[in-house]
Amino acid sequence: MDIDRSDDQELFVQTSERFMESTWPLTTVRDHLDQHGDAGADYWRKAAELGWFALLVSEEDGGGSVSDDGVYDAALLAYTRGQYLQPGPFVGTNVMAATLSASGSDAQRTEVLPALIAGEAAATWAAVGSPADQDPTAGVRYRPDGNGYRLSGSKVLVQDADRADWLLVTATGDDGPAQFLVARGSSGLVVTPRDGLDVTRRFCDVVFDDLAVPTSATVGHPGADTAADVERQLQLASVLTVAESVGAMRHDVELATQYAKDRVAFGRPIGSFQAVKHLLADTSLLVELSTGLVDAAARAVGNGDPAAGQITSMAKAYVGDAGIDLVQNCFQVFGGIGYTWEHDQHLYLRRLTTDAALYGDPAWHRERLCQLAGL
Amino acid sequence: MMDVETFRQEARSWLDANMARRDPLDDRLNRTIEEWTPEYLAEQRVLQKRLHEGGYAGISWPEKYGGRGLTAAHDQAFVEEAREFAMPDFGVAGGTTHMVCMPTILQHASEDFLFRHVPKVLDGEELICQFFSEPEAGSDLAGVRTRAERDGDRWILNGGKIWSSGAYYSQYGMCLARTNWDVPKHRGLTWFLVPVDAPGVTIQRIHQINGNSEFCQEFFDDVVLTDDDVIGEVDHGWRVTQTMLVYERGGGRPTVLKPTSDSKLPADMVDLIRRVDRTDDPVARQLVARAAITDFAQACLGARIATKFKQGALDAALAGYVKLAHGIYDPIRGRIGMEIGGAASLTWADDDPDGVSPSIGYLNGRILSIAGGTNEMQRNAIGERVLGLPREPSFDTNKPFAEVVRNARNWSGQVG
Repeated sequence: MDIDRSDDQELFVQTSERFMESTWPLTTVRDHLDQHGDAGADYWRKAAELGWFALLVSEEDGGGSVSDDGVYDAALLAYTRGQYLQPGPFVGTNVMAATLSASGSDAQRTEVLPALIAGEAAATWAAVGSPADQDPTAGVRYRPDGNGYRLSGSKVLVQDADRADWLLVTATGDDGPAQFLVARGSSGLVVTPRDGLDVTRRFCDVVFDDLAVPTSATVGHPGADTAADVERQLQLASVLTVAESVGAMRHDVELATQYAKDRVAFGRPIGSFQAVKHLLADTSLLVELSTGLVDAAARAVGNGDPAAGQITSMAKAYVGDAGIDLVQNCFQVFGGIGYTWEHDQHLYLRRLTTDAALYGDPAWHRERLCQLAGL
Repeated sequence: MMDVETFRQEARSWLDANMARRDPLDDRLNRTIEEWTPEYLAEQRVLQKRLHEGGYAGISWPEKYGGRGLTAAHDQAFVEEAREFAMPDFGVAGGTTHMVCMPTILQHASEDFLFRHVPKVLDGEELICQFFSEPEAGSDLAGVRTRAERDGDRWILNGGKIWSSGAYYSQYGMCLARTNWDVPKHRGLTWFLVPVDAPGVTIQRIHQINGNSEFCQEFFDDVVLTDDDVIGEVDHGWRVTQTMLVYERGGGRPTVLKPTSDSKLPADMVDLIRRVDRTDDPVARQLVARAAITDFAQACLGARIATKFKQGALDAALAGYVKLAHGIYDPIRGRIGMEIGGAASLTWADDDPDGVSPSIGYLNGRILSIAGGTNEMQRNAIGERVLGLPREPSFDTNKPFAEVVRNARNWSGQVG
């Protein structure tokens, strides 16, 4: 992630970093905690101009990436975003764009996709059904109805469902898994923004109250084709979420390490005490292991490695737990000041704890690994 | 100089024509040699000599001593090509000779010394074990008490060493001794190459908790050495030690990454969960997955650290991450084996090698937390040299070592 970048990738990351620093730095993140990360349309459009939503889209569809591995480029960008606790449905928009480009209908590719790429519209993936069943197909059922379908059920942890223009909804039914494009404001779509641990982002409960969708809203072909789309989406969402997490992890441990050099007690910097030094060494090891994993996961997905499902689940499971361990350790290094609102430590704690649960928590991914490996 | 890819092709043809392929059954059952017999060693020396004559021993060692004079990248290429072939197997003493002692010796010993020893090492006639740790000094390597005293033009060695793997079948031990007690500990050390069959050297096998006796303890009673046996400069042995520690931590060692495969679950864990009929047990499945994940994470970490070194990272302390990861996760992996197996890991039939395996993994699980630099020492090095955290106070670095030893048992915790 942070080593072995091409010059083009380095330039892309630096340009994006300058954008984040000038448009939505941590002080701005902090100023907008009440709004749970609503950066507005201007931020989104400017990000699109940098290419943030084109990376997973084919060139024929108007996309493009920095290297010949768009997934890796997107992961690099996500890693940087995570350091800065950036807002908005970056993962959802990119996942939807990838699927529309690969499996969308002509109409979807000409009418919906360009707006996503241009940052005129944002998208989110309604994936997790409930804490009891985290499979993306759980929570919502579809049934045929006239010249369309009816969707019933609910999803949780849907990021920015109240702000995104489009929801990509994964559902199950008689023909197997199916996915649908649902526009914000649709009749029968009940979006309830939730208050939450992560004050830098907004998550919603979404209820589908016998919501009617036309056949044209179907994304791809229900059954095995959709199952393949969903698998790829899960891999992409895992990689991008893990990459954001690893960026956040690196920043938090750097803050804590600097604190250990600055803070004096018993006549010397507290980092000179073995208890603190060893805690930070172990914590930095978590970052190194996590970075190695997200690198492998991004490459595996980008290269179409048959083991990509296993590798992304391994990364998601490990980094989910490691991120929480890290923020708890850094909290301990900071001592009392880490318990104050004004210090950034809790923002990283909130973010990383939430990341662990998105698109499947560590235990769910460990079980998925076993299944994919044939156990 | 021949480029790496041409060398690789050449090596591939030579291996095909000259060496036998490994028996895959050996790998699957994790068969390891427990006792190094003269007969087995003789067989390995034949293979080693063949490698040397072919030009594949000491690939990155200087040509004038019998090496090939190529680079670490060529070494790496050969290791990769040789993976499927039966290479000379000198076990742990082979490792200490080729990965730690000789690379260090090549950097610090005199030309005369190198001409005397390198060709014999390349032929497999000399194996060098490590006479580093002592009963009184492990982590505090600079605190060794084995003494070498000047007697005319000779050195007289007295003391002892411990945890020397494979000493019982090696020809030499690379020995750190104190040659000056009146200066601070780091400034009075010298390295000697000690013949294990010299009069006054006694080697005892250590009976380990896993039932093996691969480690040895040595006693030196008035062992006579000469200036020819000195490695580097007298009293300046710490400089040599710092080189040695880099190699011991794996710096510069060619790595063979696990190839990507469709199945990422470790074979031993899968065997175990099936044997105890817990493949449907979610708790046991979580444990198998945890082991798989940390195994894979460590492989990725190794690749990441190797890349950093290739890109020119200077501090060998980075390799400490790989070591510390083992030291943290190996014990956990050992526990996982016990937890999945339950009664089947705690007890087994007398003649069942698979049955005893989890408990061996458990007993051996903490080796890397302690050997080759404890977790605590790795954490110090990472904290100070990678993270840049300030050092803690030291109470012995500037005092003459004789005084440090005298006062150690009077520690009151109050300084200055």
